[in-house]
Amino acid sequence: MSAALAAPRDDAAGRRRLKQGLLRYSTLIVLALLFIGFSIGVDRFLTTSNLLNILQQISMLTIVAIGLTFGFAAREMDLSVGFMAGLAGLIAPLLLVAGWPMPVALLAGLGAGLAVGLVNALLVTLVGVPSLIATLAMGSILFGVNFLLSGGRAIYGGLPDSYLVLGQGRILGIPVVAFIMLGAVALAWFVMERTIFGRYVYAVGGNLKAAELSGIRGRRYRQAALVISSLFAAVAGLLLSARLGSGQPNAGQDYLLDGLATVFIGMTMFRPGTATIAGTFFGALFIGVINNGLNLVGLDTYIQSIVKGVIIIVAVAVVSRTTKLKLI
Amino acid sequence: MAIILSDIVMDYPGTRALDRVGVEFRDDEVHGLIGENGAGKTTLVSILGGSRLATAGRMTLDGEEVRLTDAGDALARGIAHVSQEGSLVPGLTAAENILLGAEPRRLGAIVDRRALSRQARELLTRWFPDVEIDLDAPVESLPYADQKIVEIVRALRGSVRILILDEPTATLPAREKERLWAIVRRLPTQGVGVVLISHFLSEILALSDRITVLRDGRLVETFSAAGADEARLVRLMLQRGQTGGAVDAPRGAVDTAVPPVIEVSDWQTADATAGHFAVRPGEIVGLIGLTGSGHFAFARSLYDAPDRIGGAMRFAGEEVADVSAAAMRRRGVAFVPDHRMIHSLVADWSVRENLAMVHPEAGALSALGILRPAREGREARRVMGRLAVKASSPEQIVTELSGGNKQKISIGKWLYGAEDRYRLMIFVEPTEGVDIGAKREIHQLMKDLARAGCAVVVASSDLIEIADLATRVVSFAGGHAIGELHWPNFSEQSFIAAMAGARS
Repeated sequence: MSAALAAPRDDAAGRRRLKQGLLRYSTLIVLALLFIGFSIGVDRFLTTSNLLNILQQISMLTIVAIGLTFGFAAREMDLSVGFMAGLAGLIAPLLLVAGWPMPVALLAGLGAGLAVGLVNALLVTLVGVPSLIATLAMGSILFGVNFLLSGGRAIYGGLPDSYLVLGQGRILGIPVVAFIMLGAVALAWFVMERTIFGRYVYAVGGNLKAAELSGIRGRRYRQAALVISSLFAAVAGLLLSARLGSGQPNAGQDYLLDGLATVFIGMTMFRPGTATIAGTFFGALFIGVINNGLNLVGLDTYIQSIVKGVIIIVAVAVVSRTTKLKLI
Repeated sequence: MAIILSDIVMDYPGTRALDRVGVEFRDDEVHGLIGENGAGKTTLVSILGGSRLATAGRMTLDGEEVRLTDAGDALARGIAHVSQEGSLVPGLTAAENILLGAEPRRLGAIVDRRALSRQARELLTRWFPDVEIDLDAPVESLPYADQKIVEIVRALRGSVRILILDEPTATLPAREKERLWAIVRRLPTQGVGVVLISHFLSEILALSDRITVLRDGRLVETFSAAGADEARLVRLMLQRGQTGGAVDAPRGAVDTAVPPVIEVSDWQTADATAGHFAVRPGEIVGLIGLTGSGHFAFARSLYDAPDRIGGAMRFAGEEVADVSAAAMRRRGVAFVPDHRMIHSLVADWSVRENLAMVHPEAGALSALGILRPAREGREARRVMGRLAVKASSPEQIVTELSGGNKQKISIGKWLYGAEDRYRLMIFVEPTEGVDIGAKREIHQLMKDLARAGCAVVVASSDLIEIADLATRVVSFAGGHAIGELHWPNFSEQSFIAAMAGARS
């Protein structure tokens, strides 16, 4: 009798495992199909220069999205990353144009990220404002600050080559930003998957109550995640201004929505429902391939915006229907 | 009117919440319904109120068999349910809440505010002529008792004959309770029977005409409240009549010359107080009490007491100022909480990751905090072997395990990388939802820990478990530690007497 009872249960478990496996890799499969489709259907897609182009295009986005991933892992959402990137991308050019040396300019940009991250973290963990609201408001503040700082104009002229090379240079034909992006991915992956710090960030996001009752100081890791998020946004902002050759008051705005889309797509992979660095990297590739492919086909940017919106909805729908995901 | 439920069975996946329960509710009585958490009270009234459909059983209303498929259906037949959580809409006035969904309108669309105010007032005075409530005030600004009365008046809007009140006084301050009691007592004289669920036994005794006791999903007894006393209620709620096999097993002697590991005095938190409490190495101290009597809250406050109001703690001879999880863990206190999926485990993590939650450094390159999965896997396997965890591998997701194995992981977190590290281990409901085999193994583990010199505190609602394990028992009632029992004076009777408030 026990065998008769056991058999269907094993079947059900097997089916569930198969379903989970399919879910885990379905996004990767779609990505592969997209890639093959564009390769066959679009003339200039599968060329070395275009593939390097994609890599360059997703670099800054990936860096922003990695920061968001730290926040998501701790179950905090940082909606100020777009304007934060803009702020860092203004501060450095402003200082450089005023004649300050490059290390000072870079550190000032990163310092701004650190400061904004700290304010976000304190608002969320000490004052008790939900991160969604606190960082949304912070984004609005930074938007205003960016226009005050720049007077609404682009900051350019006199940016040293050593700065511009960060965004425009190539080593062995490969964009410098791509190296920086890959380094950031590797570092973030290591921290999240192979250190106690990363494990604790996931613990706090996975079950705050359980983490705290295990003696983990939950508040600290939520704070750290928000600070890291802001710092990565600052790095992306610096690279963006180097790429553009100027500081633009409204640069970086698109990174928020694109970054969220990237993380959501990533959450359908590997550990469905959890934001992981590897998932985010492939999520960025997904967005990069679609944008690039649609561009080559000649579709307008507003069509791309529609496609992106649909992708976000599909990704979140897949994740929330198959896991117990709670975003807020 | 009388409604008779017979042979009601309610099955949830894996558990039977109600097992052939039969009870009669009438419109001329207050019917008290009591039982410990999990006894099936709420399930029974949700079947009566139409919000749940019984797996099996019959319901007859004045002799006619009925089938209630939803709350609206029950309401149409005169059965209304005021749930524990409250269903008022803040921001609306009391009058608007009373007539919610049935507002008088002009021209079919515009709410007639004057008529609304008047009709609400009429409803209130019809039922409770001597109750004064400002019906035009925002409902959240009213005293809690008045808010409850507003809810009751709304429930009485139709032609209601049976009113279910689930823990109506749970959120009320003491001085407001009597206001509500008067209301409840009056209803049967107006032709509305009350089914009253409450954890306050004195309240049940004072208000009820008849009382029904449920235990473990079964009917214990229905009897007239006249002549009943609290001790009898407690006995009926708890007594399982089982004989614990190990109750008679002698306990290891505790060396009273050894100073206590932990000692608290004049301990006071929001939910529990204790004059003096100490545990020595090798002791297993059981904490018992009815639901909400403070024994769980007290056990937890020894590890994490953010709501501490007063009292002093000494741990291993040192004065302790910071009683927080992180600080107490560092001092050598382990805490295995109840509700493991809420308080202890990360649902989508593997067994290995869950085990490594407290001491990840045991699977890491020291100092740098760099995790080595192979090393983690080895340590996880050791703990899984020590606790006989049945899982396909350390990489299995924890939610796929059975209740007993999940509980072993919840305990194993404190053994991973830390065998012998803990001087005090606190358990709350250590075998909640655990099969009998795993239960025995967990009990053995706790005894082994004590024998190895660990001080153990166990708070449990399973009296047999306490009788099997403990060397000493402290009973709680109304949030206070009130009595102490020593082995071999352990029996269900002595425990129940201690929990009912008799000082020993």
